[in-house]
Amino acid sequence: MSIHSRVAQLLQELPKEPQFPTQGATLFIDLERREVARAYTPLRVARAFLAGRGANMFYLYRLLDESLEPLHPEIPLIFGSGVLTGIVPSAARGNASSWSPESGVLMDSNAGDYFPSFIRMNGIDHIVLYGRAERWTVIRVKGGEVEFIDGMSYLGLDNIDLRARIPRDLGGTWDRDLAMVNVTVAGENQVLCSAIMGGPKACYARGGPGAKMGSLKVKAIVVQGQTRDFETAQPYKGYNRTIAQKLLETSVVKHALKHTGTPFLYKPSRLLGAMGTKNNQETTWTEKLDAENIAPYRPGMTGCFRCPVNCRPLNQLNEDEQDKYGRGDGPEYVTLGKFGPNVGIDRIESVIRLNNVCNDLGLDTASTGSTIAWAMELYQRGIIDEQHTGGLELTWGDAELVERLLFMISRRQGFGNVLADSTRAVENGHYPPEALKYRMAVKGLMQSDPHDARILKAFALGLAVATRGMDHLRNRVTLEINARINDDPAFKERLYGAPVSAAPNSYENKEQAVRACENTYAVGDSVGMCRFTTKLFNSPSLPGLDEFAAQIRNVTGLEYSAAELDRVGLNIMGVERLINHRLGVGREHDTLPERWFEEPVKVGAYAGEKIDRAEFDAMLSRFYEISSLTADGVPTDAFRDELQEALGVAARASGANEPRERSGESGTPRASV
Amino acid sequence: MITVVLPSTLGVKDTRVELHEAVSTIAELVDVIDARIPGFREQLDDSVFNFAVNDEMLLHHARERTLRDGDVVEVIPTISGG
Repeated sequence: MSIHSRVAQLLQELPKEPQFPTQGATLFIDLERREVARAYTPLRVARAFLAGRGANMFYLYRLLDESLEPLHPEIPLIFGSGVLTGIVPSAARGNASSWSPESGVLMDSNAGDYFPSFIRMNGIDHIVLYGRAERWTVIRVKGGEVEFIDGMSYLGLDNIDLRARIPRDLGGTWDRDLAMVNVTVAGENQVLCSAIMGGPKACYARGGPGAKMGSLKVKAIVVQGQTRDFETAQPYKGYNRTIAQKLLETSVVKHALKHTGTPFLYKPSRLLGAMGTKNNQETTWTEKLDAENIAPYRPGMTGCFRCPVNCRPLNQLNEDEQDKYGRGDGPEYVTLGKFGPNVGIDRIESVIRLNNVCNDLGLDTASTGSTIAWAMELYQRGIIDEQHTGGLELTWGDAELVERLLFMISRRQGFGNVLADSTRAVENGHYPPEALKYRMAVKGLMQSDPHDARILKAFALGLAVATRGMDHLRNRVTLEINARINDDPAFKERLYGAPVSAAPNSYENKEQAVRACENTYAVGDSVGMCRFTTKLFNSPSLPGLDEFAAQIRNVTGLEYSAAELDRVGLNIMGVERLINHRLGVGREHDTLPERWFEEPVKVGAYAGEKIDRAEFDAMLSRFYEISSLTADGVPTDAFRDELQEALGVAARASGANEPRERSGESGTPRASV
Repeated sequence: MITVVLPSTLGVKDTRVELHEAVSTIAELVDVIDARIPGFREQLDDSVFNFAVNDEMLLHHARERTLRDGDVVEVIPTISGG
C-alpha cells in the first residue's frame, strides 16, 4: 500500500474538528503533489498518547511501511508539539519522528526554541511530511495556511547564513513573529549525523533527522504570525504562575541552570571517574574544562519561548565581527564532553569554537563527536590508517583537524564521507568488522552524552533500553548521583514507587527507577515540557505528573490522574517498541557496548567497576517484567491488544507486528541506506 | 585543618573556608560551617549538592564519611544535561 493510500485511509478515520480546547490540526503535506490535508488526532489517541512524541508515534505506526528504507520518500517525517507547548512556562518543546537513517530503528528527536510553540500559535499540532518534492522547497506556514516556496536559492546555505537570509526574503523577526526548522548542507547531503536545526543552536539532533528532511528536498519550514493566547477549557494563568514559581525556586535552577547551564555536570562526572575520554578508553579528564572556565566567554544566557529559566549559555570568544565562529549559543554539557575529553581536546576555547561550527553546519554533536572519536581510536589501534583517511593523521586532541573534519563531513568530502555514515561505517564497507568492537553505540545510535555508565547501573540500563538507541534523555535516573537522595531510602522509594538500592553501582531494583523515569519523560515529551525542568531528571522538586495533570485539565479539559499519566508514559514506550519490533529490534539490541562488559574503569573510587553480564541480563529481565514486555522486549499480548485498540488497528491478525529480519551481529538492527 | 570549597552560587562571601575545629565526619563539618554561616545547613539540605573529599565524589553514605586533617572537602552542584 502506498503512502498516499495509507494517508487516505487514515484521513477517513480522523475527525475534521478539534476534539478538545486548544487542540491543533494535523497537516498531511504531500510534497510530491504539493497537496495539504487537514484533520485532528482522535480523542481516543490523545487519551492514550497525548500529543507531541506520543501522538507522533500513532501517526508513525499507522503510516510506516517497513518494507522500504528510512530515506525512501514514502517514509514520513512527522513533527509534533506537546499539548501544553506554547502555553505553559518551560513547555516549548516538540518532537520530530520517523525511521532513523542513522540507526535503523525509531527516530524520535526533541527540540525547543520557538518553532514548536509557533506552529501551535498557527493552530497546528502535527505536520506529516511525505513524498519527495520535485525541487528543493521551503514550506511557509502563516495564519495556519501552507504555501510552497521554491527553495533552490537557499541550497548550499548553512544555519547562520540561512537564518540571515530568511527574514530578509520573507519578512519577520526571529522569536517575535518568525520561527523555522531547516536543514543545512549536511542535511542536503544526507549526512547520517545531521540535524534539523530549530534555532541558532536548538536542533532535532538524534538519529539523522537532517538526512531525512533533506531526502524529502525540504530546506525549511518557516512559521510566521504573532503570538497569541489560547482559548483554554478553564483559566490556566494562575497555575502557570505556580509552575513558574516552582521552577525558579528549585535549587538546580537557582544554583546551576539559570546562570551557568548544563556544563556544570562536567566536573562531577570527571571526579567520579565517569567522563568518557578518548572514546571511553579512559574515564577522567582535565579540570581545564570545568564550567567555571567557560564563564569568561559567557556574555549572557538565553532561552526558549516563554521559558523563565533561560538555561542556554551564549558564548563570545573574541571581538572579531568577521570571525563567524567567534560567538554563538552553547556549549551544552554533551558538546563539552564530546568535543573535549572524548576527542582528547583540553582547551575550552577549542571546544566552544567547535560547538559554534557544529551549530552552523547542523551536525548532531553527540553522534558527530562520537564518530570522530571512534575513528581516532581505530587509527590509534592501527585498524584504519592513512589509506582510509586520505592521508590524515587522526591524532587525539588535534582541534584544527577536528574542525576540518566537521566541514568534510558536512560536504561528504574525502574521509568526511566515511564519517558522514556515522555508526554505519562498517556496514557501508568503510571499516573492517573488527571496528565494531570499539563503537560506542546501542541500536545503531552513538551514545548521546559523555557519561561513562560502567559505574551507575541505572544509567547503564537506561542507555540499553532507550527506544531510540543509546540516549540518556529517554530515561536517565539522574538523581542516582545525588547522595542526599541515595541516603534517604524512604524518600527514594516515594520518588520511584518502589525501593531502589542506595548504592550507585548496585543492580538491585534499578529497573524500577528506570521505569519511573521513562514514563515521566515520555509524558513530558508529549506535553512539551523541557527535560531539564521535568521532575526526576534534575530534581525531585520540579513539575511532574501531578502538575502536568492539573494543567492538562485546565488547558484541554481532559481529566487524568497522575497514575493515568504514568500509564500514558508506558503506552508511549509500548508503541515505540512495537515500531522497533517491526524494524527488527529484539532483546539482543537492548544491550551495551562491548567495552563496558569487558574493560573495567581504571580510576577513582569505583576503579574496577564494569558491567557484569549476568547481573545486567537479570536486571533487563526484571525491567521487561515491570514494563508489561515479553522476554524479547515487546509488549505482551494483553498490552499489545490495548495499544492496538488505541492505535485503531485490528489486533494481531493484521500481521502488522511481524519483525523484519535481524542482522544481529553488528548491533544495528538491520541494514539500511 | 580541613579546607572547604563552596560554590559561588551559594552566595557566600568566601568560597574557601579553613576549619581548625575538630571535625571527624561530613555531618560534623556541616554543623561547624552552619555555626559560621547561618542558614548554610538549610541551603545544603538539597539534592543538588554533593560532597567531594579530595576529589572523590561521594554518591552515598556521605554524611558518615570520615575526615582527616588536611582533607579538602568540596560542595559541588550536580545536575544533568543534554
